[in-house]
Amino acid sequence: MLELKNVKKSYDGTPVLTDISLNIEDGEIVSILGPSGCGKTTLLNLILGIVDSDGGQIIYNGEDITNVPMEKRGFNIVFQDYALFPNLNVYQNITYGLRNNPEISSKEEVEDLIHLLGLEEHLNKRIGQLSGGQKQRVALARTLVMKPKILLLDEPLSALDGVIKESIKDRIKTIAREYNLTTIIVTHDPEEALTLSNRVMIINEGKIAQFGRPEEIISRPENGFVRKFILNQLEIKKNNIFTLFSGQLEQQVQVG
Amino acid sequence: MRKNREIKAVFAVIAVFFAGFLAVPMISVLVKSFTGNGEAASFSHYAEVLTGRGFLQALGNSFVISICSALLATVLAFVLAYTIHYTNAGGRYKWLISKAAILPMLLPTITYGFAIIYSFGKQGLLTQLFGRQLFDIYGFNGLLLGYVVYTLPIAFTLINNAMGYIDKRFMIVSRLMGDSPLQTFRMTIVIPLLGTLATSFIQTFFLCFTDFGIPASVGGRYEVVASVLYEEMLGSIPNFGNGAVVALVMIIPSVVSITVLHILEKYNVRYNKISPIELKKGVKRDVVFAVLSGAILICALSMFLVMFVTPFIEEWPYRMNFTLEHVQAVFEDRQLYGVYVNSVIVALITALAGTLIAYGGALVTARSTVSGKLKKVIDSIALVTNTIPGMVIGLAYLFVFTGTPLQNTFPIIIICNIVHYFSTPYLMMKNSLSKMNASWETTAMLMGDNWMKTIVRVVTPNALSTLLEVFSYYFVNAMVTVSAVIFIAGARTMVITTKIQELQYFNEFNEIFVLSLLILFTNLIARAIFRRLAKMSESRQNTAKIYRFSEKKKAA
Repeated sequence: MLELKNVKKSYDGTPVLTDISLNIEDGEIVSILGPSGCGKTTLLNLILGIVDSDGGQIIYNGEDITNVPMEKRGFNIVFQDYALFPNLNVYQNITYGLRNNPEISSKEEVEDLIHLLGLEEHLNKRIGQLSGGQKQRVALARTLVMKPKILLLDEPLSALDGVIKESIKDRIKTIAREYNLTTIIVTHDPEEALTLSNRVMIINEGKIAQFGRPEEIISRPENGFVRKFILNQLEIKKNNIFTLFSGQLEQQVQVG
Repeated sequence: MRKNREIKAVFAVIAVFFAGFLAVPMISVLVKSFTGNGEAASFSHYAEVLTGRGFLQALGNSFVISICSALLATVLAFVLAYTIHYTNAGGRYKWLISKAAILPMLLPTITYGFAIIYSFGKQGLLTQLFGRQLFDIYGFNGLLLGYVVYTLPIAFTLINNAMGYIDKRFMIVSRLMGDSPLQTFRMTIVIPLLGTLATSFIQTFFLCFTDFGIPASVGGRYEVVASVLYEEMLGSIPNFGNGAVVALVMIIPSVVSITVLHILEKYNVRYNKISPIELKKGVKRDVVFAVLSGAILICALSMFLVMFVTPFIEEWPYRMNFTLEHVQAVFEDRQLYGVYVNSVIVALITALAGTLIAYGGALVTARSTVSGKLKKVIDSIALVTNTIPGMVIGLAYLFVFTGTPLQNTFPIIIICNIVHYFSTPYLMMKNSLSKMNASWETTAMLMGDNWMKTIVRVVTPNALSTLLEVFSYYFVNAMVTVSAVIFIAGARTMVITTKIQELQYFNEFNEIFVLSLLILFTNLIARAIFRRLAKMSESRQNTAKIYRFSEKKKAA
């Protein structure tokens, strides 16, 4: 279980996160949702260990890891633009971490992962030859080979187009279920957050505006921000889609 | 097609200019290498030069010293750039490093040799400070020091720029994957920089190989190709044929190195996005690199200290009283002061005319629809000017323009500078012009502008900051160049650098240093002014952009 207690962070005197406390259970998919500049990426970086917090505690399975350096925490991340090494091919990227720790994943486990992510036919390709969705899957595989205790995903879907988006969403869910992997996702898209995760944490101006299951957020928004920016956006989307399909619905009624 | 008439005229002017001042002179070097001073064509000069015992030795020396200097300069420049990009050494200190590292660029190389002699020589300033001579300055050591200081700014600029374009988030990935610090260094800094490091090595090698100023003063008995060429041409009996052969031999490594550079360009790693990260804390690393960088710069710049000291002392090292006598003497000496004025005028006209030609060339290749063949001609001209050392161009001009009204005139020096330095300004211009919106000309023409009006009203104002940079580049290089003008400056058309070369024979080091200081301060002031102007025009463009953007938004 990951626990944050009163964590705060400011840059040059400007507070970015104020007094963040939360619990995330093992195997849970949690989305951190909020507008740009709300502090969600900083929160992700704090958990990963790229930046140090100015106060508070980060506790993992009862152990205080606030001052444990990034590489010792055992968490891992897939960046928004994937950060694949351009000088290595797909397979070399996937197995990059095994050069340092060959015992982390067995050959079969790597093959399972490659199969799960559908990457068999791309293994010898160079990174430049891949599409966005393929890069995303390679980056996921490279990270999963390391068997992270927590998987962090920074805007995993925002660079992808429609259909691929849905398929990657499914893969992320499958992986979390299959490996019982705690997964934390940063996103600015409410639809993405609410359809992908077990719980959603909405952040605004450095504070947690609401943290709950998707249906709780829809049915019981806790404050004006959640109502106005999160629900309102979904409402507009919903209406647009209904308008689009209304003709078809009428037709069906007439035919029927 | 009607609309291409003007651009074709621009192309014609440029083509004729380079045909007359690049192609013809270079062909004449080739011809002279066979016919010499007017004999029947033969290989006798090749035989004479290549079998002469001294020449192959000098060629070997040139290779050895250039390779050593290039390696050292690249490594030192890497340390400086690393301090700036990968340590928490403090913003002001980093700023200082980046400024100090390029200072030597503002001085002619001929000054370097003198600075070395009067710093590390028997009576030198630093010799006195340390109480003993640190090393023998004539020959290998002096050349190495001079070349490294000379090429450090170029290597630093290259590596520093490239480091700025490395996505530092890869360091996080590498650490999360369990890499050791050494592996992370290799994977996220060295490998992405390999192309740049090679470029830096080749570029600095080329500069050392073709420089004349440094061996002229501290070469001693360590003969290099540049000094052989100078002796062949300006010795007691000039031997045109042998000079031409030496010049051609000098071109070969440059052609090879420029070709390699072109191939390397493809291997540069490009990142989609640069993300700033917080660097891992590492006090030890910060201190080590801050101290290293400080030491490198102090060593590199300390040899110029003498320039600021001896001219203000009555008689170094015997009568150590402060005086402005020497400075005054230079300004009162009509001839010396006149040389300074000549230099500034030459630099200004070079900058003005050179910028126009580079702009014209870039307009043809980046903003016109003329056939690809014409564009290729201009690109090739830029490539060729990049491969030909200044000394070789100077020599070629000596062959072609001796006896014509152009001999010993300022225009010939100006033209020589424009041709010699054409490549970089042209590429800067082309790069900036090709980034601009491609439909401006069409739009303006639909609004009733003719081509000239479009260029004046739309393209030029948007290219202003690059035009100023190009102007500044030409100005500074025209002020400091020595190798290109050494053969073509006459008694009445002396510029500072050739004057320094002459003063060297009489050991007039006070005058040399005062003139060098004049060059340095002129360049510093010129750069500051152009930088300021460029920034102003840039910020005007930016506000214009923001304005346009908000207009668009409103309309939507």
